[in-house]
Amino acid sequence: MNELIKHAKELLEKGEVAAVIGYRQVSEKRTKPVIITEPEETRALVFNEYCLNNLAVYLTKARIKLLGRKNNKSFKLAITAKPCDVHSIVALIQENQIDRDKIHIISFNCHGVVKDFGFDFNGDNLSSKCITCETHKPLYYDKLLGEVKETPQARDSALERIKEIERMPHNERFEFFRSEFDKCIKCYACRAVCPLCYCQRCITDKTIPCWIETSSHQRGNFAWNVIRAFHLSGRCTGCGECDRVCPADIPLSLINRKMTIEANNLFSFVSGRSLETPTLVGSFNEKDNDELFM
Amino acid sequence: MKIGVFVCHCGENISSTVDCLRVADLCKSYSGVEYSVDYKYMCSDPGQKLIKEAIHKYDLDAIVVGSCSPHMHERTFRNAAVSAGINPFMVEIANLREHCSWVHDEIEASTRKAIELMRMAIEKVKRDKPLTKINVPVTKRVLVIGGGIAGIQAALDTANAGYEVVLVEKEPSIGGHMSQLSETFPTLDCSQCILTPRMVEVHQHPRIKLMTYSEVERVEGFIGNFKVTIRKKARHINEENCSGCGLCITKCPIKKKAYNSFEEDLAFRPAVYVPFPQAIPNIPVIDETVCTYYKTGKCGMCLKVCDREAIDFGQKDTIHVADVGAIIVATGYKLYNIEKKSEDSIYKGYGEYGYGKYRDILDGLQFERIASASGPTSGEIKRPSDGRVPKKLAFIQCVGSRDDSKGISYCSKICCMYTAKQAMLYRHKVHDGEAYIFYMDIRAGGKMYEEFVRRAIEEDKVKYIRGRVSRIYEENGKYIVKGEDTIAGMPVEIDADMVVLATAMIPQDDAGSLARKIGIPYDKYGFFNEAHPKLRPVESTTAGIFLAGACQSPKDIPESVSMASAAASKAIILFANDTLEREPVVAKVNEDICAGCFYCMKVCPFGAVEVKDVKDMNGIVYKEVAYINQGVCQGCGTCTATCLSKSIELAGFNNEEIFAEIAAL
Repeated sequence: MNELIKHAKELLEKGEVAAVIGYRQVSEKRTKPVIITEPEETRALVFNEYCLNNLAVYLTKARIKLLGRKNNKSFKLAITAKPCDVHSIVALIQENQIDRDKIHIISFNCHGVVKDFGFDFNGDNLSSKCITCETHKPLYYDKLLGEVKETPQARDSALERIKEIERMPHNERFEFFRSEFDKCIKCYACRAVCPLCYCQRCITDKTIPCWIETSSHQRGNFAWNVIRAFHLSGRCTGCGECDRVCPADIPLSLINRKMTIEANNLFSFVSGRSLETPTLVGSFNEKDNDELFM
Repeated sequence: MKIGVFVCHCGENISSTVDCLRVADLCKSYSGVEYSVDYKYMCSDPGQKLIKEAIHKYDLDAIVVGSCSPHMHERTFRNAAVSAGINPFMVEIANLREHCSWVHDEIEASTRKAIELMRMAIEKVKRDKPLTKINVPVTKRVLVIGGGIAGIQAALDTANAGYEVVLVEKEPSIGGHMSQLSETFPTLDCSQCILTPRMVEVHQHPRIKLMTYSEVERVEGFIGNFKVTIRKKARHINEENCSGCGLCITKCPIKKKAYNSFEEDLAFRPAVYVPFPQAIPNIPVIDETVCTYYKTGKCGMCLKVCDREAIDFGQKDTIHVADVGAIIVATGYKLYNIEKKSEDSIYKGYGEYGYGKYRDILDGLQFERIASASGPTSGEIKRPSDGRVPKKLAFIQCVGSRDDSKGISYCSKICCMYTAKQAMLYRHKVHDGEAYIFYMDIRAGGKMYEEFVRRAIEEDKVKYIRGRVSRIYEENGKYIVKGEDTIAGMPVEIDADMVVLATAMIPQDDAGSLARKIGIPYDKYGFFNEAHPKLRPVESTTAGIFLAGACQSPKDIPESVSMASAAASKAIILFANDTLEREPVVAKVNEDICAGCFYCMKVCPFGAVEVKDVKDMNGIVYKEVAYINQGVCQGCGTCTATCLSKSIELAGFNNEEIFAEIAAL
């Protein structure tokens, strides 16, 4: 990873960027996000199969955005991003949250990450999003590092689970989600970790009127999780962070992935794949499928 | 807050299925309700008086009326409230008629539903805030799209009323289909003779800006304040310099490469041309697709003969922007082409009639050109194939029209009349000729129309055969028309020399895309929709955009002209005031919580959303938020629904009000 360190150090030394958002190793099978502003600190930077976090989320945080502004001048922020994290960055650019020319994307030829910290990297422990990944090389980047390696083969058990849920009768499916949402403790980790949940005041924090009940009982839980899914429909890039951080193990990415499949079937659109394609929400095409209208 | 509740019986419309007395009585028990009453006709004078007196007597702050749809009488009740000193937006209507009594028949259940509807309205009115109307300026200029007879009439009427007009026509000349016609029913006066004076008047009018060979690219804005982008296509002729002498046209060596569309492809035209001699403006157009200069860079004959240096091969399309207050759409029609259609077309074509295969099978407009004194045959009826005078002519009505299997269920309305006219003209010109008309029904409603058809039958001996034609094929230079006479109940076969098909009137090909550009609805065929089929026939559902002529549905000349005058008067009414009073139901962004994703901007159909910079105390922009221009916003609520963080509120329908309504259920 000397190349990464060298590159990041150079960027900071030359003053091309104000900060580098990256990963540092904290134990053998665990990394943590780190934000580096001094050139010598760059030696902590790593990139490997344990770089799970989608760092794009930090680009939307006000305090980090502020790093890019020093002495009334604006500087770029550098970010190390997996090819899938680049999808999130694309979505954020399209939703006017960041400027493409204000960020420096350091990306990698990626062959997958583990499903969670502490696991060995192999087919059994491959993160679910990596099984079906089609972008081992990032779609957009300013610096590409790392060598091309083979991704381990694994079964797409998440898709099997989705098909299984689809086959359930209506009441059974409802019961399934109710029991899953029952576990929700309203910690909003899913929201905090999602790069696309960048609203300064989430609708769930709106109290006059209170559309979503905030306490974690069944009604509020259902409302929160369903609204979260709808707000991400056609926007979710599939990074799977919500699923990974959920302390109650609610299979959130199943819902998001199902919505992504639906959006793709109906409108041939997957979020974050192209800066040129207009966002699904808010764009209208005469050829759009109109079977959804009654 | 003191609320007054008024429950209307609407005669028996509501009271036959809703126990109005019980509804009014129960409403008295709701908190905030000071007074509640039912009455037979709340919209009547005594009904309104009842409301006004109650407002004074009980010192009411807001009222709820349970009545018909707010579309009908919201304004009535708001005005009553205003005259009694209440803000008009402190009035809520519970729709007890369309939403309740008319759609249910069980008294107990519909009464319960009526009570729920009333309670929702009461909860909403408690949270309503007084709003003041917004005044927006009106640009007193009208855009007329289409320079046929409807567009010409609308432009002249508006201009003569003292307002400026921009008339946009996509062809090189105004005049439209009427300029192609020979004679007009039921008086048989020459079409061009009555049309061309109007065309000249348009050209000379000081308040009409004529833009031919131009198309509307984009329309932004709203009633009173539209911004229109117009593309003026390159004529390759400098309009200032051209005197219209026509030398370039006569000298152009390309004579037979392009069909003359004004002559309905029955003749050729040079590469540089005016559509017809009386064209307005009388300025030619160079057709790039056939002109040798554009192919090889050589020739330039027109350049050599033009002594006014009007030829400009390098001319490019130009973009013009016009600010207008109203738009009159008069884009007219085209004829159904019976040839085989593509799979996805709603029209199916008539392969069995051989149009396009046999040169003597014509459509109605082609026959008009043949019968016209200025046409390719100078008015003599001749077969396009060999120039012989046809001795037997068959006309077929309803080709395409009234035929679900071919894609059109409507009646094209003018074909009965023009077919009778064409048969008559033929008989006047070819005395020994026989004219047969296959018809389904003769629809001759209109002043002197039926008499005209009778004249064709009785004086001019036109033979009407009631029945459909199954097939036309050629045999020994004749066209065998196989059909049936349903009155005689037997098959008919006519060996005609020429066949004229009265094909259906359909909208212009680009009607749908134009409608989307200017934001008006259209039906499945592409005809523009009127706001109300009976009471608002010349208005589109978009405020400030009016319809004239056959772009709305098939129409003859007198109907198109009256519709054009009506549309013009609608624009003139709009211009009678300097400012427009607009409902204050507009959206507003909460800048503190707006995340600046600008989905609202993407979905706003009116372009009302702008980017606003929010600066910190050092004057540095730290975020961008959405800003809604109150003058442009039409209060449709699309942004409000799209906003993920609920940072946009629609005045009069804010989150709190809607939530209270739902919670009251």
